[in-house]
Amino acid sequence: MNIRFPKSLRIIAISLVAIGILALALSGVFTTFSRWVVSPMTSVQTWVSLQYQGVENFVSASQDIREIRQQNTELEAENARMQAQIVELQQQLVEFKILSALLEFARANPEHQYIGASVIGRDPSPFLNYIIINRGSDDGLRRGMPVVTQNGLAGRIVQVTATGARVSLVTDPITKINVRVEPSRSAAVLSGSITGDITLEQIPQDADVNPGNLILTSGLGGNYPANIIVGQVTSVRSRENDLFQSASVQPVTDFSDLSIVLVITNFEPVDFNPLIPDSGTP
Amino acid sequence: MSVILSIPVLGFISILQSAVVSRLPLNHGTADLVLVVLVAIALQKTSTTSWQWSIVGGLFTDFISGLPFGIFTVSYLIATGIAHIIRKRIWRFSFLMQLLVVFSGTVLSHGMAYMVLFLQGSNISFITALQVVTLPSIILNFMLSLPIFILIQDILEQVHPQE
Repeated sequence: MNIRFPKSLRIIAISLVAIGILALALSGVFTTFSRWVVSPMTSVQTWVSLQYQGVENFVSASQDIREIRQQNTELEAENARMQAQIVELQQQLVEFKILSALLEFARANPEHQYIGASVIGRDPSPFLNYIIINRGSDDGLRRGMPVVTQNGLAGRIVQVTATGARVSLVTDPITKINVRVEPSRSAAVLSGSITGDITLEQIPQDADVNPGNLILTSGLGGNYPANIIVGQVTSVRSRENDLFQSASVQPVTDFSDLSIVLVITNFEPVDFNPLIPDSGTP
Repeated sequence: MSVILSIPVLGFISILQSAVVSRLPLNHGTADLVLVVLVAIALQKTSTTSWQWSIVGGLFTDFISGLPFGIFTVSYLIATGIAHIIRKRIWRFSFLMQLLVVFSGTVLSHGMAYMVLFLQGSNISFITALQVVTLPSIILNFMLSLPIFILIQDILEQVHPQE
């Protein structure tokens, strides 16, 4: 049998039931019941949530790892660039120090005009102490021009091409330079050797030469300008029966580490050959 | 190998010799990269233009060096000649032949340089030259010989594959 209530009465009844349930819930009657229902739901929800977070982390983390790896690669590349920059700056610093020392030398010796040149090579033969520089006749260099470093004399140009020049160092075995010893002002001849050592020869027996004395170019012979420092006496050999004394000299320039040099361009070497009489002339 | 190819290759090796190898001395001796390369080429059975390569290498080194022109060319040609004699006389030659020819070439070129300097009035002691220049140079040349010999052998095998 189907009893049909009017619609308004049904609404009132449902409202009353709802209010009753709410009142019961607020009064705490449903607490125990709700625990039975909610607890397993919470557990299930926690498990589902954890699984979801795991999946979410897996998806997002793989993306993060890709980003981190990309960042790492970029940082490594930047690090390599910085390292290269540091090496370049260190090299520039060394060059700057050499150039400032050369500038200081040029300021201290204003009577000369200079052209700076880089050392680009050495002679293939180990018997010759020659260097090759990157300036030549196009830059105004000529054969015979003296070459100096910030410390003192390095050598002289023996051959010139358009864009380069070959410099015979003072340590070359064929080199002979007229020098004087300070403070005694004694004249002597400086000669090189294949071992890179330089010796002072033909020092008069009565000359007062001692270790520590400075060796400067004398200008005699016309191959080098006067008063350029060459080295320092380290030891003197003198025997009574010999005509001359000899001495070992420590050069002021480190020839094993030459990178930049100055060429003195306003020095004209003197050619004495026309003054030497022929052997046939009376 | 083509003679034309020798110009850029030996030009570069000569530059490398002057700019790098000559700055790495052992005592006062330095390696002769051009000599070692030329000897390695001359000792290969497949090489047909080693004489021409020696002339080009010698001319490049003579241009760079301050020694009288021709010393390196002559010494490289003689070293190539020694290599050819060994190649013809010995059926199966080994890497030791490279060392022998490099030794002969180094002694020869240093001997000629020594003679020139002696004639120019330099008072170089023969024993000192031998001890501080020639012997260290031979050691450096020996050290370079093995990698260069293998490299040249590989290159020539690629260029002229054996049937």
